[in-house]
Amino acid sequence: MTIYITDGSPAAFFTAVFDDCIITSDTQVQLSFDSRVVRTEYDEEKCARVRRGIAKYDPLAEREILIALRSCDPLKEQIAFSYIKKLMQFKCAINKRLNMPEVIELNEIIYKVNGETHRLKGLLRFMESKDGALYAPYTPDNDITDLLMEHFTARFKNEKFVIHDLKRKIAGLYNGRECIMGYAGEAEIYLSEYERAFENLWKKYYKSVTIKERPHEKQMKGSMPVRYWKFLPEKK
Amino acid sequence: MIDEETLEILTESAKYDVSCSSSGSKRANKAGGLGNASAGGICHSFTPDGRCISLLKILMSNDCIYDCEYCPNRRSADVRRARFTPDEICELVINFYKRNYIEGLFLSSAVFDSPDKTMELMTETVVKLRKLYNFNGYIHLKGIPHADGAIVMKAARVVDRMSYNVELPSEKSLKLLAPQKTRQSLLLPMKSLNEAIEYDKQNKVRHGKVLPAGQTTQMIIGASPESDGQILKLTEALYRNMNLKRVYYSSYVPVVQSSKLPTVGAGLLREHRLYQADWLIRFYGFNVDEICGECENLPSEYDPKCAWALRNMHLFPVEINTAPLETLLRVPGIGAKSAYRITEARKFSKLDFDNLAKMRIVLKRAKHFITCNGRFYGSESFAQVKTSLMLAGSREINEQLTMFSDTPTALSALTGEI
Repeated sequence: MTIYITDGSPAAFFTAVFDDCIITSDTQVQLSFDSRVVRTEYDEEKCARVRRGIAKYDPLAEREILIALRSCDPLKEQIAFSYIKKLMQFKCAINKRLNMPEVIELNEIIYKVNGETHRLKGLLRFMESKDGALYAPYTPDNDITDLLMEHFTARFKNEKFVIHDLKRKIAGLYNGRECIMGYAGEAEIYLSEYERAFENLWKKYYKSVTIKERPHEKQMKGSMPVRYWKFLPEKK
Repeated sequence: MIDEETLEILTESAKYDVSCSSSGSKRANKAGGLGNASAGGICHSFTPDGRCISLLKILMSNDCIYDCEYCPNRRSADVRRARFTPDEICELVINFYKRNYIEGLFLSSAVFDSPDKTMELMTETVVKLRKLYNFNGYIHLKGIPHADGAIVMKAARVVDRMSYNVELPSEKSLKLLAPQKTRQSLLLPMKSLNEAIEYDKQNKVRHGKVLPAGQTTQMIIGASPESDGQILKLTEALYRNMNLKRVYYSSYVPVVQSSKLPTVGAGLLREHRLYQADWLIRFYGFNVDEICGECENLPSEYDPKCAWALRNMHLFPVEINTAPLETLLRVPGIGAKSAYRITEARKFSKLDFDNLAKMRIVLKRAKHFITCNGRFYGSESFAQVKTSLMLAGSREINEQLTMFSDTPTALSALTGEI
């Protein structure tokens, strides 16, 4: 069996889809004795042909697949690949066939990526630096930084801000006009003189708005899992 | 800099207000402005009581001239008093918003000086926030009863949502427990705001719409003797006549000692059941009469949809592959999302029981009320169905019970007594 290893980029994935194979960006993948490993190099033509093929049968499918590919699921490429194969077999949109295993599996990982994006639109926390720029470090499960950038550029159109995924070492930067994504290892940040004060006011607010007579920690943790707490001032 | 103690007092005074939702508005950001509104609403944090924080929910002042029995801020109460200035509130909102702590502001207030004065200062705050600070995030403003209509309209033009709390489910209880508020002082402004919203809708106003996220209201449950049936009738009338977006229920918590008030709280299970019934009215095509008789209470052992289905066993089972959407929505355990999934999927192939399970349709309750390709997977005996629905519901009740701090309240919730 041939195993195509990609660098995790959508372009490499679409290139690999061209051949019938197993695709993964997971370098920890378990290999069987007869497997042949091929490192996929991005091929513009192959990639474009696959994308055109998908768009021909379902113009909305590419966006869905691109969202699925941000998942942290190690089988994401395989799930997306199976979905594309079905699409090619049916030669029409299959996204409404909600009892088909390939559709269920793809929808499940899309659901998780969209769910985390929505959750972090609320749970991301910015700090104000000395020069007035806002900085938000976080460690999401899925690769969603550019999805969050879309949301926050609309909201903070006239601010300067950085969203920094410390796990993947990537950051989205917005300078008040345009948005760029890039590698970012560590960041050193000098906080504005008011930062601590507003953080304390927020902590005070959080404490005061709680109804102590009605404890329900389980519900709190269900809606706001503990792994997100390390960047929340009110939970630190 | 804003005083921490003032924030503490004005937050603690506001915390019993239920509503914190930030949905329903699509306000866009403006040139040079800060923020926008997200139609689906966004939660920014969750407190240890399990509630979400979406908006900065504070009072402008807690120094009240009214003396409502149930209210911790009533005139005769011996509590710390404080007041924010409009600028302090604006500064707090802008700085919290920039750090993504909040989705916007929920501003309410005790009535200080006079209703007009209070409404005026609240209006000044929200107008300042929009015009001077150029803030385009979500604003929910509480209406002050007896305040001048012109001031209210001025505020309604800049905020996303307003709410007048009906406070108690009947005029009699309102007279007894909140003597300075009259039903008219709550319903009339609600009505004129609704007329303004309707006017905008009919004239297809695009920019500067009055209250794009509409109106809501809230009432206290269990401080007065009204039955669930009466409460739901009132709810239905408010949805129908005032076009409210939401009616919130707040189960009574005895924070205030008074001979006119019960000494135990109403329990969260009752509140939960009322919300379930409210959902059935708004999204599932039920009438109140089908769910609950005028003088009855909702059953505590299972949810109102199960109770309705058990009373109407002659309508079941329904065939999953052919039943219309409205019928599917009436099957216990099948919600709006599941019903949609079923109607979409069955266009392409017949669904069997396994398909439903794989599609993540919860069948614990539903299996007694459906057939898949003519096959029935539930129990034939009515008594068994009842027991199994109760068992399915008991997990839910247990979860609710963990919310109660003391056993008497928990017991009263189970038995439905107040």
